[in-house]
Amino acid sequence: MRRDGSPSTLREALVRGRRELTLYLAAGAVYVAVGVAVPELLFAWAAAVGYLLLVVVAVPFVVRRLRQ
Amino acid sequence: MSWAAHDLEPYVIQKELGKRVAFVPMLLGSYAPDLLSKWFVYGVTFAGFELKADNPAQFHRGWPGFGFTHSLVFGVLVGLLLYVVWRNKVVAYSFVIGQWAHALTDTGDTVGTMLLFPFTDHLFALGAWAYAGQTGRYVDAGAYFSGLGFVWDGVFVVWGILSWRVLTRGYFRTTVMAADPFWRWAGRYLSESTLVALYRASFFYGVGRWTAWLIWAHVVRSFAFDLRWGGPRWVPRVDADELNAAPACRCPGCCSMKPRLGFYGAVAVCAVAKGHSGSIREALRSAPRRRRRSRRKPRT
Repeated sequence: MRRDGSPSTLREALVRGRRELTLYLAAGAVYVAVGVAVPELLFAWAAAVGYLLLVVVAVPFVVRRLRQ
Repeated sequence: MSWAAHDLEPYVIQKELGKRVAFVPMLLGSYAPDLLSKWFVYGVTFAGFELKADNPAQFHRGWPGFGFTHSLVFGVLVGLLLYVVWRNKVVAYSFVIGQWAHALTDTGDTVGTMLLFPFTDHLFALGAWAYAGQTGRYVDAGAYFSGLGFVWDGVFVVWGILSWRVLTRGYFRTTVMAADPFWRWAGRYLSESTLVALYRASFFYGVGRWTAWLIWAHVVRSFAFDLRWGGPRWVPRVDADELNAAPACRCPGCCSMKPRLGFYGAVAVCAVAKGHSGSIREALRSAPRRRRRSRRKPRT
């Protein structure tokens, strides 16, 4: 969403959120790789949610804290 | 059954309906039909005992069994229950939309769903991909990702990616959070980044597992692709006419229709007619007056 309230284009959204997008894509790539190796993990929704929270929320939070 | 569509449907619907739906009840509705039954279909081993349904397809989709969770009426009943508890219409019908999406999507396989239960136990099935839940979770995964099932899920993966706007932080803030009381409540305890990650989690799970299962089935294992209608043919599949003691019937909703359908239908029509009769009478009474008024207006 732009400041004037109009919807942003895909390019604008990608540029603005590229760090976040990179984090999610990296998390997704690792999840797929681990899931292919251990398919039992792919059945657990809770495991996927926990993993996502760990990678895109907890780890960046810890990194930010350590940098300060 | 679908392996990723139920995770992704709520995002696609969210894109179409915006603030008119609440995301969390819709997601719960999308998961609800399989929530209590799926583990028993594949079986679990607990303290040395294996718990598994004797007839997984009958248990999952049939009656007697848990097939009623895939009926449209089940969604409405749970929606009404949610309305009684929360007094929030959006929460109630968002659950119904999610559950109906699940029930309708599952008609794509060879077993189908009892959409009109309890009026009829007929299984409405398009038969596009094989139902093979009885073969165990891994063979079922291999079969699903070798037939038209994974193509159907792929439609939702692409549709979900095309609906990328619903995944943005701005959309979450302005639309999802505004319509869904769950996020406002959770926002008191969790940061926005955590809420957004939770909101995106099912999308992540759906796309991630769709990709992973596809690679697993055809790179790690060598399940053969068979994109014919009702395929793959190499897996022993269950068909709708093997369940509920229904006769082999090609036309949906006719042969296994029971007399009670007619009875319930008549009761429903009478109830609706009775409810509307007062308003119809009122409308008829007021109609001439309106006409007279409208004639007078141009003169003044």
